[in-house]
Formats: sequence, structure tokens, C-alpha cells
Amino acid sequence: MDMADTHKEWLQQMELQSQAKQKSFIDGISAKLGRPRTEQPPVHPFRGAPDFWRTFEWTAEERIERFGANFRAAGGYVERLSDMDEVRRFISDKAVEWSAKYVVRQGQPELDELNLEDALENANVAVWNSSVDEEWKARAAEADFGVVLADYAVAYTGSITVLSSKNKGRSVSLLPTVLFAVIPAERMRTRLGEPLQQFDAIGREELPAGIHFISGPSRSADIENDLTIGVHGPGVVYALIVG
Amino acid sequence: MSSTAAGSKQSTVKQRAELALNDEFLRKAVKFTTERLRSGKKSASEEHGNWDDWRERGRQIRLHTIAHLDYYLNLFADNARANGVHIHFAQTDVEAVRIALEIAQRKQAKSVVKSKSMVTEELHLNRALDSIGVEAIETDLGEYIIQLAGETPSHIIIPAIHKNRYQIADLLSAEAGETLAPDTQILAGFVRKKLREKFLEADIGMTGCNFAIAETGSMVLFENEGNARMVTTVPKTQITLMGMERIIPSFEDLEVMATLLPRSATGQKLTVYMSAITGPRRSDDADGPDEMHIIIVDNGRSNQLGDPEFQELLNCIRCGACLNACPVYRHIGGHAYGGTYSGPIGAVLTPALNSNVAEWDDIANASSLCGACYEACPVKIPLHDMLVYLRRRKVESGNGSKLESAGMKGFSAVMGDARRMRSALKIGQFGQKLVVREGGIRLRLGPLKGWNTYRVAPSLPKHTFRDRWKEVDRDAQMKGKPLDPAVQARMEAIVKQRQQGGGHGHGGHA
Ligand code: SF4
Repeated sequence: MDMADTHKEWLQQMELQSQAKQKSFIDGISAKLGRPRTEQPPVHPFRGAPDFWRTFEWTAEERIERFGANFRAAGGYVERLSDMDEVRRFISDKAVEWSAKYVVRQGQPELDELNLEDALENANVAVWNSSVDEEWKARAAEADFGVVLADYAVAYTGSITVLSSKNKGRSVSLLPTVLFAVIPAERMRTRLGEPLQQFDAIGREELPAGIHFISGPSRSADIENDLTIGVHGPGVVYALIVG
Repeated sequence: MSSTAAGSKQSTVKQRAELALNDEFLRKAVKFTTERLRSGKKSASEEHGNWDDWRERGRQIRLHTIAHLDYYLNLFADNARANGVHIHFAQTDVEAVRIALEIAQRKQAKSVVKSKSMVTEELHLNRALDSIGVEAIETDLGEYIIQLAGETPSHIIIPAIHKNRYQIADLLSAEAGETLAPDTQILAGFVRKKLREKFLEADIGMTGCNFAIAETGSMVLFENEGNARMVTTVPKTQITLMGMERIIPSFEDLEVMATLLPRSATGQKLTVYMSAITGPRRSDDADGPDEMHIIIVDNGRSNQLGDPEFQELLNCIRCGACLNACPVYRHIGGHAYGGTYSGPIGAVLTPALNSNVAEWDDIANASSLCGACYEACPVKIPLHDMLVYLRRRKVESGNGSKLESAGMKGFSAVMGDARRMRSALKIGQFGQKLVVREGGIRLRLGPLKGWNTYRVAPSLPKHTFRDRWKEVDRDAQMKGKPLDPAVQARMEAIVKQRQQGGGHGHGGHA
């Protein structure tokens, strides 16, 4: 029997043990709580944010302005661009300015249309997961630029939200040195709760493996409390708001 | 993908990363942002309104979840399993370690990359991994430095706070095999490159868990550096150690926790990264772990359930706000507490987790009972009341002497005038010597004299804290300084930055 099979068997065995243990573990909790175990969902009267917060909303312009202020305060860069042509121009200019050699981008259709592959003459642009025999984590790890299209953005906290999928790698927003996040203006929300409630609505089965909120460049203050950036994640993050 | 092919690919990743990492580019990038951050006028963090309403909501959500922990934990386990996660239950630390080691051995792991996790510290997992020949690498910048030095963290917010940049440069130079200049950016740049190799080489990524969402089986991590994302994205196997009380019902509830935790931990509106991981990578994803394990750990937590005086301890979201607020902690620093959890929360949690009466007085004595911890706590845990309960239980259990019982009376008298004591302490919130000398200690020398002067019962297993406390006490009286002044200055700077929304340090403790 080869390794993979024994491992699978071991996992199955652990699974059985775990299920048996689950029963006694949870029963133990019920006993400590001094009542029998309930199968019915308990009534949760305090679910989510306080009531006054749920109706709070900024106008579209306010959202963009607040997002910008928050994102900049966290050390990020924000540009307001009118359309995807400007996005292409902006990223191309930066590629020249920084002499970027390796670029990795998500395989989202909106980014396909950007056609950075032709626009960035001196850089090698790779499209995440666009072929099976490529080592994609390595492509992202060596990239100078990463380009993603945000699924949501949150003005109140200055956050960009990205969800993983086949053509949207988690590594693309994490491993490159400089990150460009393209945010269609209509995806900008006021509160953190707006995308979060979406995830409850989407439900377990349809959720992606990775959901990430990104609120600026990677930072640390571990050496003499002196702030430095880019210890692990991107050290420079551009939020490009379009529209 | 078969495991052998995957293995060879893994090393390819490393080689390529080594080849192509553009150091010069990184250096430029780091300078670009850091300089702007430093010189740019810091925008004062706008006051987050209705703070008490949010705290109250956070408290209610935690109270509700813990009151129905059997239901929610069961739901979480079922849902996480349905997501393809391998769930394990560990009643004790020994069991949790055994499961983690078994996975590591099954995977024939050579190295494990870790992001900061209090639970793994509680379990002494690094030592256990080491004992079976698996290298455990801490990847938080500060933790990594401390690990190189062979020490334990001195401050859970900034673990390497007791090291200056010259000492750090020496440590890292030894690792690099070349002399690195004592410059934050150069040092951080070296760590980035070095740890990237480690991430790409490692067989297992290990994390804690800030919150676990029952309805979707997701686990949530808050952090600023990105290493927790690395650990959950790059290695092929992920192991998450989770305290059994980390549960919240829904993503909607996460909004409340995400509002409370970073603001309380670092003064940020949100940590740089907040990640919700729902199961291993989907079959057509090109990153994320192939195999994901979550080990749910009790290790004394369930002892708090059904105990009216201590159940609320399980509401703790590990933000560390009570540590920064505590004048005693700021004076003596983290090492003095001896356990994994320090400060006011540690003073209550450590004996509670151990159910160890003999240790109670030891640590509970380190509190000045000023109530600053309660006021700082985002889920309103009455830590100062709990310290009183601990002391009372010790007396009741016969571990207290007559003198101590007398002290209890005087003690209630002081509690009756808690408001005055609190304001007395507030005046000196930043002047730590002042607080401990003129506040805490003098107050305790008054009606609480008994608590300070009783003799050590010979049966007590640990004298560490008491001994150190006596030293501190003496130092304070003699105007000596228990902490290096540079270290103390850094700690004070952190507290100030937190209040201005500076956001230094880690975002809570998974
Ligand atoms: S007890 Fe301390 S660490 Fe826990 S939530 Fe309250 S303030 Fe934060």
C-alpha cells in the first residue's frame, strides 16, 4: 500500500475517533452548563451590530472620500480613476517608474480586458492559474506587482475585500511587493457588516476557501517599536477606485 | 495531485523564490511607504461613537454564545467537517499535543511555520515538536527575533520589546552569516527574505484562531504582518489550534468583534488583514492548504462553565487591552507573570485554567484592584471582581491564614470606596512608578497590609511571582526601576500610540 493510501486510512480512523469524541466533549459542556443538550437553535436576540448602526450609510461620494482617508492613514495609496483605460495607464506608468520585471494578476474578466500583458512592455505578466503545470505560488512570490480586482471595499474601516476562487489566488494579494487593487466604485460599501452579512446570506456551501480584508500595507513595529512595512505582505498598496 | 509530485514542486517553489526575489526592488518599496508613514501627519483616529453600546453588544454576543456553547461548538464542528476540515477534540494539553505531533509525523514534516498563537504557547507545542525533530519556526517578526535569541516574549503586544536594534542586528547577522546594519528596514528586509524561504519549504502551517464562526465552519484571523496569511496559504497542510470558547454564531456577529478587537488591541479601525478561512483549498484553487486540521482545545476552559463567578472569563477575546491599562503590568512587564497569559486576564485565567487554589493568591496579589482592566475590556469582563473572588476562595478553602482573613475585611472596606481608589490611580496612569508606589502599594499597605505581609505557606508550589513581586515592591520603594528605562519608554509609547490609533503591534492574540 502506498503512502497516500495509508494516510487516507489514518485520516478516516481519526475521523471516527473525532466523531465519538465530539459527542462526549459536547455532552460534557452541556453537563457543566447544568442542563440537557439542546438541538434547537437558541434564540439570539443580540445578533450582529447594534440597531442604530444597521441603518447607517454614507453617500457614494462620502464613502469614497472616507475610504481614501482611512486607507491613506494606514499607509496605503489611493487614486480615483475614471475608467479602466486610466487603470491600464496608471499601472503601466508605475511599472516603468519602478522598473517592475514580474507581474502577476488575477484571471478576472475585467482584468483580462485591461490587457496588461501588452501594455507592460518590459515586464513579464502572468495570469493566476491560467495553466496547470505552472508553480503559481512561486510566480506570486517573485512578483514585483500583484494586480487584483476587489469584490468589495469598506469605507468605514478603509478595507479591500478579496475572495478566492479558481482564477483568484490568495497569493496574488499577499506575496508581491507592490499590490494594485482595482475597486469599481459601486462595490464600495459603508460598513463592515455589509459584506459580512453577504457571507451569511451566501451560506457555508458557497463560501470561498479564503476571504481577506486588506486595510493597508503589511506592517510591524517589532524592532524597537519602530514602524516598518512589508515584512511579509505587500509593502506598497494602491487602491485604484474606478468610476 | 499526488503527494510525491507535490513534494518536488514544493522545493521548486523555494528555488524559484530564491532566484527571483528582487531585493533592490523590495528595499525601494519599503522606503517608499515607511517614509511617508513617518513624516506624514498622523490623522487622528476619529472617535468611534457609541463605544459603550458596542461593548455591551459584544458582551451580549459572547454571553449568549458561551451560554449555548454546546449548541454552537457542535454546529461549528459539523460545518467545518462539511467544509472538508479534519476536526479533533482535545480535553487536555497532553491530548492536543499528541494529536498535533501525530499529524506532523504522518506528514513526515521537517518544519512547521507558525503565526502567533497563545494556545500553542499554552501547550508548549514548540518544545514538543522539537522533541520529535520537527523545527517550529515563529514567523511574527518579534517572535522570530525572540526565538533566535532562545528567549520567551516579554510583552505579548511587542514580544521583542526588551531588545534594542543593535542586539537584534547581532542576532540576525549571525543567522545571515554576514553583518547587517542596525537599521529597522534592513533588518526587516532580511527577515522577509529569510522567512519567505521558510514558508515555501515548510510542510505545515500552524495558527491559532481569533474567532470561529459556527454557522459556516469558518475560522477567522486578525493580524498586521501577513504571516498568518502566509501560514494558511502556502504550506500544504494547515493545523489550527483553537480554544473551545472562540466561537461566535455568524459573520454578522463578526462585525461586532472586528469593531472591538483591533480598536482595543492596537487602536486600529481594523488590523491590516482580517481573514476568514472556510475549509481547505477547493479542488480547482491553486493555493491554500490541501489538508486542514482544527484541534479544539479544552485544557481547563470548561471548568469555568456553570461557575457564576468565572464563566465570563470565557468571553475574553484576547485583545490585551487590560494589560496595557494595568499599572502593575506596565510596571513589572510580562515575564514576571510566569504563565502564558499575563496581566489582569492572566492573573485570573492562569489559576482558573489550572484549577489550582494554591496558585491563586500568588498571582491575584499582583493586582491593585483599581478597575482599569474592566474599563478597558471591550467585552466588559469584571476582572477586578474576579480577583476578589479568587482571594475569597483561597481564604475559604483554608489556604488563607488568619491574618489574611483579617486582610479580607480591610479589603472589603477598600472596595466600598472603589471609586476613590480608581480616580486616585487614574491620575498617574502614565507615571507608572507613581501609580505603583503612591497608588497600588500604599493602598495595599493600608487596609490590605495582611495581603502583602503574610508568610509563604510551605505547601505552595510556585514562589516565582511572589518573589518577583517583592523585588518590585522593594525596588519601587527604593525608587529603583524594575524595567530597563528604554523598555519602559517603549511601552509607554505603545500605550500612547494605541490611544491615537497608531496601530503598532499585533492585532489581538489568536
Ligand atoms: S479580559 Fe483583557 S484581554 Fe480579555 S477581552 Fe477583556 S481586556 Fe481584552
